[in-house]
Amino acid sequence: MSLPVGIAGGGGFGRALALAVARAGRSAILWSRQPREFQTQQIRTTAALADLAAAELVFLAVPSPHVPAVARQLGASLDGSHLICHVSRGLVGEDLQTLTELLRRVTPVRRVGVLAGPLVARGLAEGQPGGGIVGTLFPEVFESVREAIAGPSLRIYQTEDVVGVEMASAFVGMVAVAVGYAQAAGFGPATLAVLGTRAMAEAVRVSAFQGAEERTFAGLAGTGDLIAAVAGDGRPELALGRALYEGKTTSEAAATAGAYVEGIAIASHVVAFAKRHSIEAPIAVAMRELALGKASPRTIVADLMARPARGE
Amino acid sequence: MVRPLAVMMRLSNHPLRLPRLRTYVPGPSDPKIFWFNSERADIVQAVVRRILERHEADESIELIVNDAAYHEVRRLEPRSDEGAHRRLEYWRGIIRRIGRMSSESKQETLREITERMVQDVAGNFDPRVYRFSARVVPSLLTGVMKPSRLVGSLLGSSKLNDLVESEGPLDKLRKLQNKGTLVYVPTHSSNLDSLAIAWVLYREGLAPAVYGAGKNLFTNPIISFFMHNLGAYRVDRRIKAQLYKDVLKTYSSILIERGYHSLFFPGGTRSRSGAVERHLKLGLAGTGVEAFARNHARGTNRPIYFVPATINYALVLEAETLIEDYLKESGRARYIIDDDEFSRLDRWIAFFNRLQNLDTACVIRFGEPMDPFCNLVNDEGESLTPDGRAIDPVTYVSRRGSVVVDHARDAAYTRDLGRAIAEQYVHSTVIMPTQLLAHVIFRRLVRATPGLDLFSRLRYRGEIAIPVDELLPELGRTRDALVALEAAGRVHVNAGLRRAKPDRFFERALAAWATYHRRPMARRMGGALILEDPNLVFFYQNRLRDFVLELAGDHPAEQRAAREIVAMGEGGSR
Repeated sequence: MSLPVGIAGGGGFGRALALAVARAGRSAILWSRQPREFQTQQIRTTAALADLAAAELVFLAVPSPHVPAVARQLGASLDGSHLICHVSRGLVGEDLQTLTELLRRVTPVRRVGVLAGPLVARGLAEGQPGGGIVGTLFPEVFESVREAIAGPSLRIYQTEDVVGVEMASAFVGMVAVAVGYAQAAGFGPATLAVLGTRAMAEAVRVSAFQGAEERTFAGLAGTGDLIAAVAGDGRPELALGRALYEGKTTSEAAATAGAYVEGIAIASHVVAFAKRHSIEAPIAVAMRELALGKASPRTIVADLMARPARGE
Repeated sequence: MVRPLAVMMRLSNHPLRLPRLRTYVPGPSDPKIFWFNSERADIVQAVVRRILERHEADESIELIVNDAAYHEVRRLEPRSDEGAHRRLEYWRGIIRRIGRMSSESKQETLREITERMVQDVAGNFDPRVYRFSARVVPSLLTGVMKPSRLVGSLLGSSKLNDLVESEGPLDKLRKLQNKGTLVYVPTHSSNLDSLAIAWVLYREGLAPAVYGAGKNLFTNPIISFFMHNLGAYRVDRRIKAQLYKDVLKTYSSILIERGYHSLFFPGGTRSRSGAVERHLKLGLAGTGVEAFARNHARGTNRPIYFVPATINYALVLEAETLIEDYLKESGRARYIIDDDEFSRLDRWIAFFNRLQNLDTACVIRFGEPMDPFCNLVNDEGESLTPDGRAIDPVTYVSRRGSVVVDHARDAAYTRDLGRAIAEQYVHSTVIMPTQLLAHVIFRRLVRATPGLDLFSRLRYRGEIAIPVDELLPELGRTRDALVALEAAGRVHVNAGLRRAKPDRFFERALAAWATYHRRPMARRMGGALILEDPNLVFFYQNRLRDFVLELAGDHPAEQRAAREIVAMGEGGSR
């Protein structure tokens, strides 16, 4: 009998993962602070994180600010035989520490990975055709994720560029806020394309310092994810960007978006990191200025367009 | 007629062993390495067996043998000596015949090639040479430092004790060496490293470790004799054949599996930039992970502990060659340097003469031992989770209840381990006065040349003058910032530097540089210090690369200079 799959986090994405596990014919244990009901017997819910130790693979599906605390608590029940795959978009602090790195520091689990790409809760829950990418150095993490959720409607790919996947995923969150903002400001597709492309070039520049590979940004975790966001898969990041354009404060905009959005916090961290390493990151700077209410759309656009154009 | 050069070549390739009238029987308290000679033949055969097991199919044998023949032919073709000619004929014969051989002949050929390689790699251990070295080598080194002390030092009062300090969890290491296999993984900045660490292990009551030494170190027959008879095995980096790499890894893994404490320099080569290595591939050290899995798969419960260490010199013997090599773009591919200061007696004497004027010439700081999965261990050798629970390390090599040997998984663990060791390097670094002075001078250079690239800056010879009455307070302030970082557990500071007044460590560092390096690094003129050799200053300052921002004062120009140093530092990882 195969072991159940653990899922830490009863939010939209955690519940969607549980349904994907059930669809793949496996059983799941879902840890949630709030009671959750499912139509299937294959999903059991629990309020005790320690219960997830019964699984071999545990998905960590909590908003990134909660990852350190939940991971510490979860780690207290795990050992070296467990595998953890997180699905969060965050980077920690001004060193842009990735969440897999944090997992290695606060838990005894070493076989860790990240699931990213154009996966959204609704599509995953409904079994719409789609795909994602697992960044991990460990073949068994990839195999276990694939066994847990892949199927006729979900393709899972793998890369060893773990940092690249995590950085790309986090940057797409930031860029999606910028795109939402630009859409609300009335800019057309060509402007959005330039914004998105240059923002990803900036992401590559910054991420290379952390050892990420450029090609990862052209894959599912980067461009693929950004296309899904711009095409309108209902990302909260775009809603947050639009709300910012309407003049709402960061906290009001976050409330409008209806979910925790990491993009603004990432922009601040990226600006500090880029300054320290003398890397040009104009779009992150613009995002931070906008969020702090220190700049208007007009001045931001004027500043970005006035930058000297160089080889791409 | 006896040709001296031929004799030297012969001795370096076939080091002398001392004759023995009766077999040495190790005592119960002797370290494991004392058993090496009685196990040597068995170890060689174990390596051969494991390699043959990996290549059972005909195609696999053909592939690995052809690869070896191809690389050996390429390596030997440019040589004109008789030995090379003979070997060339042998390999060309293999290439001609291998396709037509029967399965048995192929296996026999692989066995023959493998055994020859293992025999060349495998070392020897002679307890008599070990005891002789432990007694005499420190005295000789002290004698080189100061000939008038030679007699006294031979009688036992060696200055080496004062010159080389050791720090870190030494008591814990002494306990752990009896519970499992220690794998020392220090930083690497000089060919003296292996001598320094071997001496410190001996002095601190730690068992000797086997060590894979580059074959270039065996070119001197005397060093070759000692290396060969003290358990070192030979690693010839010129041999590119995959089979040779497999032989080295298997040999190393089997030694660790059998409980031989081992020493590896996971940076692979000496740090060309002077910086503490940031990216480690681990190479042979990674075989410790496989050894752990193999031992447990066969039911042998022998823990393996990785022990990071930093070797911190006030002066680096080969500094000039290393930094030049680093700075030459073409030099980056020059992996094996066999014509540096290490091979020149006059540089040794100048170097050791300088050392005697220092309070401390070298500090070896051992880091916290870890299991192969980056978990710290307690005094009892138990692996600890981040929240302090004892954890069974076997769970890391288990899948669904069974212990599995899995190369892909172990390669991933090895990469993690490389990262964890590199992190320990940073906060186990001990900053010496010469390095701090170099950093402050280099920061001044960067301040004076805003926006220039590194290479343009390094052309500023004799053009930067720093008033000493400005430099001393800046040195004091930077030292204080360093001591604050030490209090926060980020780095260590040499005791002399921590205590001394800035003018004292300034003068001592300057004096240490002055007569060792061929060109003056900096000289005093009137009330100013003139920067003369930015390359060497850059080399020594690179040791502080990870702390540059925190060491900068409030002055905006100093902070900007610090940011520029950080930005130029990424290339300094080797």
